Amino acid sequence: MKKVYLLSKVDETKCIGDKICENVCPTGAIKVVNRKARVDETKCAACLECLDMCNEGAIRMVPRERPLTMGVDPLDVDQDELRALCDRARFDPDDPICLCTLTPAKEVAAAILKGAQTPEEVTLMTGIRTSCGMWCMAPILRLLKAHGLETAPPKGYRWYDVDANLWDIPEAVSQKYPEYYLEEDKKLYDESMLDNLILMLT
Amino acid sequence: MLETAIQPPEIMPSVFGPELPRQRAADLPGIVSLKVSQLFEDIAQAIYLRGDDLSVVRQATKEALDVVDMGMIKAQDSINILCSEHAFNILEGKPYAQMLKTIKDVVQERTGCQNIRLRFCAGGGITEAREIIPYFQLDSHFGGQVRGTGPFDRGVPIKTEIGTLYGLARVYDADWFIHAHNDDPREIYFHRLIDRALKPFTMSYARFETRSAYHMNFGNRSSNIVPRAIFDSPFVQEKFAFTCFLTTSPAGITGVDADNDLHQLNRRLTVNTLNSYGKLMRIFAEIDECVAVLDAGRWPWYLHAGGLTSGNLFKAPIDFMDLSVGSIRKEKGDVKLNSAVKALVINYAWRELFVELPRIYPTIVAGSALARGLAKRILKHSVVAESLQTAMEFALRISKTDKVIVFDGSYGSINLSPALGEYLLEKAPEVAQRVEEKLLPMWLLQRGIDSEAVQGPVLDRRSG
Repeated sequence: MKKVYLLSKVDETKCIGDKICENVCPTGAIKVVNRKARVDETKCAACLECLDMCNEGAIRMVPRERPLTMGVDPLDVDQDELRALCDRARFDPDDPICLCTLTPAKEVAAAILKGAQTPEEVTLMTGIRTSCGMWCMAPILRLLKAHGLETAPPKGYRWYDVDANLWDIPEAVSQKYPEYYLEEDKKLYDESMLDNLILMLT
Repeated sequence: MLETAIQPPEIMPSVFGPELPRQRAADLPGIVSLKVSQLFEDIAQAIYLRGDDLSVVRQATKEALDVVDMGMIKAQDSINILCSEHAFNILEGKPYAQMLKTIKDVVQERTGCQNIRLRFCAGGGITEAREIIPYFQLDSHFGGQVRGTGPFDRGVPIKTEIGTLYGLARVYDADWFIHAHNDDPREIYFHRLIDRALKPFTMSYARFETRSAYHMNFGNRSSNIVPRAIFDSPFVQEKFAFTCFLTTSPAGITGVDADNDLHQLNRRLTVNTLNSYGKLMRIFAEIDECVAVLDAGRWPWYLHAGGLTSGNLFKAPIDFMDLSVGSIRKEKGDVKLNSAVKALVINYAWRELFVELPRIYPTIVAGSALARGLAKRILKHSVVAESLQTAMEFALRISKTDKVIVFDGSYGSINLSPALGEYLLEKAPEVAQRVEEKLLPMWLLQRGIDSEAVQGPVLDRRSG
């Protein structure tokens, strides 16, 4: 569950319509229309990426009149389906997959089972990827793919599809590079004992 | 052997940080200083520790570059010198900035190339570049050819042995690039000192999806295949000119190393890090109880005490240099942070990326001005004291210890309480013996390095 208290506001006198903000917005809340950025207030998660990336200083944050609440109750979906989806994506349902919001895998899985089909929709429903935005993309893509969804990136560079992972490393590569302990880590993974960034820090 | 507390490096003002503190922990009564060389006399000596005279760094850079082949760079070519945010956190960033400026001057002089650009690669946001570039006058030195880039910038696909990964387009938008970095071991619990010198290819120089895959789709040993795959890719190899590293030990800046072969430099870096930092890392694990004070200008896991980052205390119980350690999980839900840290006092740190610390450690924020600058979710798990002094008094009372360590950016010495200083001095001989006789040979062997071949304080291009 995330509560959003701020909102991006565009200064149209400064905006040059370069679409940088549109490309970095994790919810797709910003669209450039007639060379000016427009913010959909129902979608802005106040992640501050647009503020950080705008070279023109055309964006500032203002308080929302009412906080926007983001969150999905994992108990709202069939628990067997939820567990099966997490299994296919290779997550323990209770493990956090976002360092900032500590959103558990089961909440993202529930959002997908309730209809989220893209990373943007997952973010809008759960609030994941609304702070540093850095570490939780791979887990989101894993859960979407595990549900059989096509993960086609939008036009531009909001996100790219990266699926490099331990369990799909070709055997020849594993054998070529023993110094990376690929086979040993695969075994740990199979025993649910592999530590990723978030499990290391929490 | 304990001395008056040394003055820590100054804090650079930043929008990422709260209001600058009026008092540093080093100014508190009862804080003293312990030289790292008094703990371990064989720690590599520094050529630079503090001050505005950076001529020694400039000279070291020139000498390191003397042995580098720049013949591939033609006068009409374009070159990106790649730099990364964290190094500007080492001793106020001055030595790193000096190294970057010297690289530019030497390359220009030797190749005649005028189109030399600096690419500032942010850890998080582009705002870091907007602050740091002018602060160190990098824009004027590079004739305005300086651009920041960050993990959300436009990407460029890189075909690798493990699939397509994405670098930052602005990193690779020149004919050549120079990998200009530092050897601070920093997050050894993530990279395990396996190809440390290559890690920026999956972090600083990479898009956020690639960074996420590195951290979330692998273990902390196997993840190092990702930067290796990127660096060894034809796309990157076609543009790589050479590398130049600012080298450190807990004593300070030890020199500059450069090479056309990054793998060779990485081998030297590995040996030097194990030699220089290994004992200090293991003695952090001996601390049985303490209050940790955060008091410097970066993210809370990256603040130095005696040249070692705070994260190395929070993760101290596990020897992450030992590559036989695969998992640290025992049972689901295990807390994996160091339970010897009984309380955390925040006197200064950047405001985010440490929500997990106050959830685990009793945390006292030193003053309401600081509290106003911290994220709400941090304050939710903290208490606010009136001042640094009262924060310390409260922390000592609830933790029932008189051992205090201050992460204030210092190299060369650790600012700490007398009780902790005396405790560390007592432990040091046993730790030194254990590392020398057992651990160091094992760490080296695990990395395919013969310990007999690497005797000596610091390896450089000529010796290694």
